[in-house]
Amino acid sequence: MTTIDLPPEIETVFRGFRTCEFSTLARDGTPVTWPTVARFQPEPAQFLITTSIGQAQKVFHIRRNPRVALLYSDPTASGLMSPPHVLVQGDAVAPDEIVTSVDAPEDYRVYLRDNIFRRQPASEAMSSNAVMRKLFDWYYMRLLILVTPRAILWWPAGDFAQAAHRLEVNHVG
Amino acid sequence: MWDKLTKSLAMFSSAVVTGTDAEGYPFSVRLTPRIDLARQVLHVELPNHVPIQPGPAGLLCHSHDEGLWNLKSFIVRGRLEHEANGWMFHPRQFIPGAGFGGLPGFMRWIMSCRRAARQYLEKRGLPRPTIPWKAIGALRAESKRSISP
Repeated sequence: MTTIDLPPEIETVFRGFRTCEFSTLARDGTPVTWPTVARFQPEPAQFLITTSIGQAQKVFHIRRNPRVALLYSDPTASGLMSPPHVLVQGDAVAPDEIVTSVDAPEDYRVYLRDNIFRRQPASEAMSSNAVMRKLFDWYYMRLLILVTPRAILWWPAGDFAQAAHRLEVNHVG
Repeated sequence: MWDKLTKSLAMFSSAVVTGTDAEGYPFSVRLTPRIDLARQVLHVELPNHVPIQPGPAGLLCHSHDEGLWNLKSFIVRGRLEHEANGWMFHPRQFIPGAGFGGLPGFMRWIMSCRRAARQYLEKRGLPRPTIPWKAIGALRAESKRSISP
């Protein structure tokens, strides 16, 4: 089990930012980074990310190399003024199980409800009628990615010229 | 590739540059690259304390609005090199993401995702799952009612 004694301003970033920049490593070692929605779960400390089987490249990367990073550097829509920018480095797992139910697992249900549906109301268009449902059914065939952090670094006010504050993450048990 | 990159980069005020650290983990910073037209490279000012190693690297620009919509993004694959006059990003491949290519680009994206999903299922011998649209609708309705952090 992973525990983190997280400064409140960092947890506020994890909860408030709409997206993070999620990096995985391609076969040739090139970091590939795309904007992604991640949900922080404090106990045990993990980040839940999901992707469709129609956009599974990051999952293929993780299955070859679990090293990943999440950078929180775009506060748009968070309501936060000059928040720190936060980098999470960690190890990810991405089981080969396609999730279509929105009722379980519970963490996924909450992720979908709070982080996607509530924050991205216009995405309702993807299930608004029969044609859209046919076009976008792949979107709801999801793979779950769980990231266990190993280090969290942050730069107050997003000032990368300063040395980062660093928090090593304890793995217990 | 270079023209697309410079034109697209001009739409954003900053970019996320990612390399790897000595332990092989990705390490990202947000900065504003400077375009070197003559050499067709990007100058990136990585502070000394940033432990990125020379080697394969990526660059991402993205944006969204207050409703997490009007998404726009692209990535560039390349290499970071530490040269006499600082860090340089050598671009190799431009990959458009959301919001590039207009409606034809959007339709191509949908079709490529549908194709990739079909291939994912075929490779595993799985039937196309049924999507619980009614439950999705109910969860959407719940999202409009409930408030939690």
